[in-house]
Amino acid sequence: MTDNFSRRDFLKLASVGAATTAILTGCGPASRYVTREPYTKMPEYTYNGQSTYYATTCRECAAGCGLVVRTMQGRAIKVEGNKNHPVNLGKTCVRGQATLHGLYNPDRVQDPAKQSKRGSRDFSNMDWDAAIAVVADALKNTDPTGVTFLMGMAPDHLFDLVSDLAKAIGAPAPIRFGALGMFEARATLGKAVESLFGQAAMPFFDMGKSDLVFSFGANFLETWLSPVAFTRGFANMRRGGGHGRGTLVHFEPRMSQTASKADMWIPITPGTEGLVALAIGRIAAEARGGSLPAAFADVDVEAIAKSSGVSAEKLDELGKLFASADAALAIPGGAALAHSNGLETAEAVLALNALVGGLGRAGGVFLAPLAPMQTEFSRPANMAEMADFVEKMKSGEIKTLFIHGVNPVFELPKSLGFEDALKSVQTVISFATFPDETAMQADYVFPDHHGLESWGYQRVAAGSSQSALSGAQPVVSPYYNTRATADVFLAAAASVGGATAQALPFKDEVEFIQSKIVALVSESDGYFGAPEINTFTAYFQQYGGWWKTVDELATPGGDVLGKAIQVGEARFAGEGEFYFHPFVSPVLGEAGANKPWLQEIPDPTTTAMWSSWVEIHPETAHELGVDNDDVVLITSEAGAVEAVVYKYPAIRPDTIAMPFGQGHTAYGRYAEGRGSNPADLFGEQVNGAGDLAFADMRVKVEKTGKKYPLSRLESRMGVYGEALGEEH
Amino acid sequence: MVKRFMSWLSDPLGRIGLLIAFLAVFSGAAFGLYTTQTAPPQPIQFPHNLHVGLGVQCLYCHPGAYRQASAGLPTETKCWGCHQQLSKYADGTVALPAELQKLKAYVDANKPIQWVPVAQVPDFVHFNHRPHIAAGLNCENCHGDMSKVTVAENPQVMNMGWCLECHRARTVDNPEKRNKLLDCGTCHY
Repeated sequence: MTDNFSRRDFLKLASVGAATTAILTGCGPASRYVTREPYTKMPEYTYNGQSTYYATTCRECAAGCGLVVRTMQGRAIKVEGNKNHPVNLGKTCVRGQATLHGLYNPDRVQDPAKQSKRGSRDFSNMDWDAAIAVVADALKNTDPTGVTFLMGMAPDHLFDLVSDLAKAIGAPAPIRFGALGMFEARATLGKAVESLFGQAAMPFFDMGKSDLVFSFGANFLETWLSPVAFTRGFANMRRGGGHGRGTLVHFEPRMSQTASKADMWIPITPGTEGLVALAIGRIAAEARGGSLPAAFADVDVEAIAKSSGVSAEKLDELGKLFASADAALAIPGGAALAHSNGLETAEAVLALNALVGGLGRAGGVFLAPLAPMQTEFSRPANMAEMADFVEKMKSGEIKTLFIHGVNPVFELPKSLGFEDALKSVQTVISFATFPDETAMQADYVFPDHHGLESWGYQRVAAGSSQSALSGAQPVVSPYYNTRATADVFLAAAASVGGATAQALPFKDEVEFIQSKIVALVSESDGYFGAPEINTFTAYFQQYGGWWKTVDELATPGGDVLGKAIQVGEARFAGEGEFYFHPFVSPVLGEAGANKPWLQEIPDPTTTAMWSSWVEIHPETAHELGVDNDDVVLITSEAGAVEAVVYKYPAIRPDTIAMPFGQGHTAYGRYAEGRGSNPADLFGEQVNGAGDLAFADMRVKVEKTGKKYPLSRLESRMGVYGEALGEEH
Repeated sequence: MVKRFMSWLSDPLGRIGLLIAFLAVFSGAAFGLYTTQTAPPQPIQFPHNLHVGLGVQCLYCHPGAYRQASAGLPTETKCWGCHQQLSKYADGTVALPAELQKLKAYVDANKPIQWVPVAQVPDFVHFNHRPHIAAGLNCENCHGDMSKVTVAENPQVMNMGWCLECHRARTVDNPEKRNKLLDCGTCHY
């Protein structure tokens, strides 16, 4: 304070000022009058200021979880699980929550469009009448044997419609594919069940009632089959209904999110999972006494201990643990089956369940029930079938290709040459909601609604002990000039006329769906019943689907242990010094990269965000002379990608691992140009069930000298502070 | 400094100057305050009297009053649903009046009409229409006779005294209900 202006003067003036301000502004609201914007078109059942809830089905993967979406004044604002739904009982995973970011994604395809030249991204908008004329023309004027529908694993109602359409015009049956199905090794599971139990079906693992789970590569807490259902099963196992706290032992070369939840993580040599299962089977059989079953009779435990890197003592401990449990369960899945010996591995692991009486026992293995309206087990195409399909495309046999719900340019191994093969197809029509890589290589993009704007149903393949059909309905009106692909096909079929129109005599998608679910009206044991189809449809929408109230699990039969199981050595392709272990990003899944919420969520094991990385053991990194954030070039027999090093202590030193989900060259602003795609490294080697042996790879790692600071949540000192003292 | 200020105040010119300065600040603030408390003009001069006179029920356009907190404003589809059917305008015998032309413009552009709420309570009051209707009150008990006004007007100031007056009067013989209806938390929560 100066001589002229004392502290006391300042306080006096300040308080006078404050008092004046308070008196002048009074105690009233700052602004009393605002304007209100009513709806221009409000649904009759909507009330101002009150939320409306709609039950529907999640489309972020094919598991078919039920959702209840809260909407406010015509906008979807929150996704929750449907409490009545048998798959998820009110829960969702992170990808389900983020489905809103797909709905509001600024990069959605907003109008039907024609691309001047494939890959040019020079789109000119069309109107829907012209778009339907294009589809109708393709259906009418192409040799039907040259028309192919390539569909994603969801939604099922569209697959059914397209199957009917293909039959009507005489085209080959539609092909289904999804990267998750490939990483889950669905075809291998189905084939192993068929060859062991004599009946093709999806296995159902009753984890909740088990007290000991041996998981061979199955990332069931991340993306595998039905992660929300398995997470519930895992929680129940941990709580131990009658058993005490259950135990999880996980076999995988790297510590995945599932492995990090396990009591024991066994960093097994890639490709030896089946052998280890056999060794455990033999030791368990001996521990249980009685005669040694043929399945495990010829097993050489010492040799397996040597090749798998799991010591004989450890194998002995694990075998005795498995034999002594009340309700032991062994689960095969994921990368463990993605080896040349994958099918035999799946059989060996499933046979473990038979050894301890786990077939059809609570806490054991069952055959999953078929969904309502399903007559036989179906699975997505395996890699062998996809390779055949690509060959057909290359030979020019396929003239018109319709693609919906799948992004094969990104998801299939680059070495398969799908993108090149597309050049031999005369007309490619994509129904993509987002501008994905495949849509960029199409002649036309006729955008489907987002899943939350769509009608539909999804059959539940795994994850429910009840036979279940999950129902979908729009929770908001479509935001853009998109149209349901089912409606496009129905309109096109009608304009084609003749037998095609007769096969699909429906005025719209809803009428088609009703024509399918009408078969359920007369069913008993349903969660609800109705005397006729319209009431039934109303309940179907209200409850979010239809399911049986009783379990319909079947007990697997067959002489499982009677014949020897031969698990050969995995044949690794390539000359490199490292095993390559790709895994699906637990956060992004196969198609989450365009959702900023998901990009922003730290990976559960590395906390990395907004990019992809390669996990290298710190000692290996030291030998290679690379450090965190160094960019390395990974070369396989089939290709090469660059990736940022993440020093990860929880991985085998002879293995490197990389997440799948990033590396998009299209797919909108949040996905494009971020990270790299391990599918570029995949070869074409398949296992006995035709699934891609993506883990059967040896790769080289070279320093590039470049650096890329990886964004991550944790301190940059590393997981265990191993970089303390270094400059970061 | 304060001493110098005080000696300056003893000068008449100084006092006049201070008065002018105070008036300038005060009137500026008062005007600013006044504008925040004054309703902007309604986008359409809606004739309530005409509609009520034709026998349209209040709840036809404001159905929320029956079910929820907010009475709600009718959507344009509701307005235009009736108005487009008026044959004298449809067949061109009578030109569409100015106010209806405004409505048609909103409907054609699919733009919401920015109505200005008339009966309003501050943010810290949680008013709910539904229990008032359920208690047997009619719309005109609070909002006045709408057959007498064009654009809605408030017949009284909607302050807490007015609320409590009615809450007291209607619970004379029911002490339990009176307790509930006079409780602060009934409206301020």
